[in-house]
Amino acid sequence: MPEMVVKLRDVETTYEGEHLPAIKDINLQVDLSEFLVVVGPNGSGKTTLLETINGLLKVTHGEVIVFGHDMARNPSRVRKDIGYVPQDFLSEPSAPFIVRDVVLMGRYGKLGVLRRPERRDLKIAEEAMRLVGIDGFADRPIGKLSGGEQQKVMIARAIAQEPRLLLLDEPFSNLDIDSRRRMSDTLCKLHDERGLTTIMVTHDLLSIPERCDRIIVMDRGRIIVDGEPKYAMQKAEDLNILVRGLSL
Amino acid sequence: MIPLPIQIIITAITASILAGITCSLIGVFVVQMKLSSIGFCMSHAAFAGAALGLLLSTDPLITALAFATVIALILGPLSEKAKLSPEVIIGIMFSLTMGLGFIFLNFTPGLAATRQALGILWGSIFSVTIDDLILLGLLTFFIVLLLILFFKEFQALMFNRKLAEASGINTSLFYFLILFLIGVTVAFSLKLVGGLLVFALIVNPASSALQFIYDLKKVMVVSPLIGASTCLLGFFSSLLLNFPIGSSIIIVSSFTFCVSVILSPKRRRG
Ligand SMILES: Nc1ncnc2c1ncn2[C@@H]1O[C@H](COP(=O)(O)OP(=O)(O)O)[C@@H](O)[C@H]1O
Ligand SMILES: [Mg+2]
Repeated sequence: MPEMVVKLRDVETTYEGEHLPAIKDINLQVDLSEFLVVVGPNGSGKTTLLETINGLLKVTHGEVIVFGHDMARNPSRVRKDIGYVPQDFLSEPSAPFIVRDVVLMGRYGKLGVLRRPERRDLKIAEEAMRLVGIDGFADRPIGKLSGGEQQKVMIARAIAQEPRLLLLDEPFSNLDIDSRRRMSDTLCKLHDERGLTTIMVTHDLLSIPERCDRIIVMDRGRIIVDGEPKYAMQKAEDLNILVRGLSL
Repeated sequence: MIPLPIQIIITAITASILAGITCSLIGVFVVQMKLSSIGFCMSHAAFAGAALGLLLSTDPLITALAFATVIALILGPLSEKAKLSPEVIIGIMFSLTMGLGFIFLNFTPGLAATRQALGILWGSIFSVTIDDLILLGLLTFFIVLLLILFFKEFQALMFNRKLAEASGINTSLFYFLILFLIGVTVAFSLKLVGGLLVFALIVNPASSALQFIYDLKKVMVVSPLIGASTCLLGFFSSLLLNFPIGSSIIIVSSFTFCVSVILSPKRRRG
């Protein structure tokens, strides 16, 4: 039996002050070393799903288990092992943070309080920057980079964390075609070499890495298709989901 | 013993430097984490608290501290979840705390109290005692120590709270620690520049430093340098020109901020 990394049981998440849940009836199991891609139109609940998995959003029903740990209780401990690349992150132009420090911050949770980053941590951060191709501007203020470059910084930060589970929310949305392909290769390589369990959200079908193991399709807060890539895409097409909301 | 003028002057100079350092260190958090509205309310709550302290003939520092902390405990969670917009918070709390403050002052009997009252409104550096100085020194030490111990958590929090939380840092703990430190700093600096102006002393030096520097560690060094020197400059110009100390410190620090905005490379295009 494969080892289970994420398990969502009957999960429903409602934003504070809202009446209707943003996602509901979510049952999902992700196994060790799986590469899962989540697709679906805008507003279908993809981001909400990711933030429910790492516990940034509290479930209003059901339970979320990550690495055997209930995320409703003391989520900080598990989060050290979860890398997260948020959607559309953009730093203020004048923010006083240089790229190297931002990438290094990925390791802070893991280090724990009262421990300073050491040479080893710096080396891991440098390696992550090299992997995603931003080592050239390690000393630049992050706010001075383009949206696509900042997106790469966020990916490097998540890689530097050395997570056991990687959550990526539309990580290529600001990248050009070339960068997309290279980043996709990098992520696949990480997945293959480290057996890193990866969940990647996208609404762009072209950014689905060829080597992904499984695709789930979301629509209006529910998972409506779940299966291996060819089957899932065909099914989604039959249901007319992908034509409606996805940019092709 | 009646203290010699030179002693008063040394006390005043030391107080200016210490208050300048603590306020401008805390200011980096306030500016970078956009806590101005909460900080602003806390400084006025501290004023109201100090006024209540005069009325009750207790130590104004303690009541100021209590009021500022209560405000942090109420507004912290509210603003944390973005349930109230900063404008609403300021609009309501500003008038409420000012109203309370003046009511308390109004009922405080005696001429001496009036002088003291003016002191907490506008600051009176010559009323700073050796005890005040020791407390202020301890506070400065404490804040610097916390900054060194938890620098990486503070840095991650200032960069982006959600990302810090997602990577396994308990951000609520540090967020409330920061709010608490703002409250303590405000209460301790009240005697120097007064309740109406203390907030400018918090925000101006940090904002000036942030005009030039892209590295948080350096901001944390330069901001207190600016803070301490504007306080000193303000102090001496108040002696020379016979201005109220609080006002002259604030004028110097506002002037510094304006100059940094004009010279700022961050504001230039390209
Ligand atoms: N902060 C929020 N408060 C209230 N509703 C939200 C919030 N964020 C998202 N939603 C709603 O939740 C639903 C799912 O949003 P989201 O998960 O962001 O979709 P996706 O990432 O697939 O585009 C949408 O209907 C959206 O309007
Ligand atoms: Mg989204």
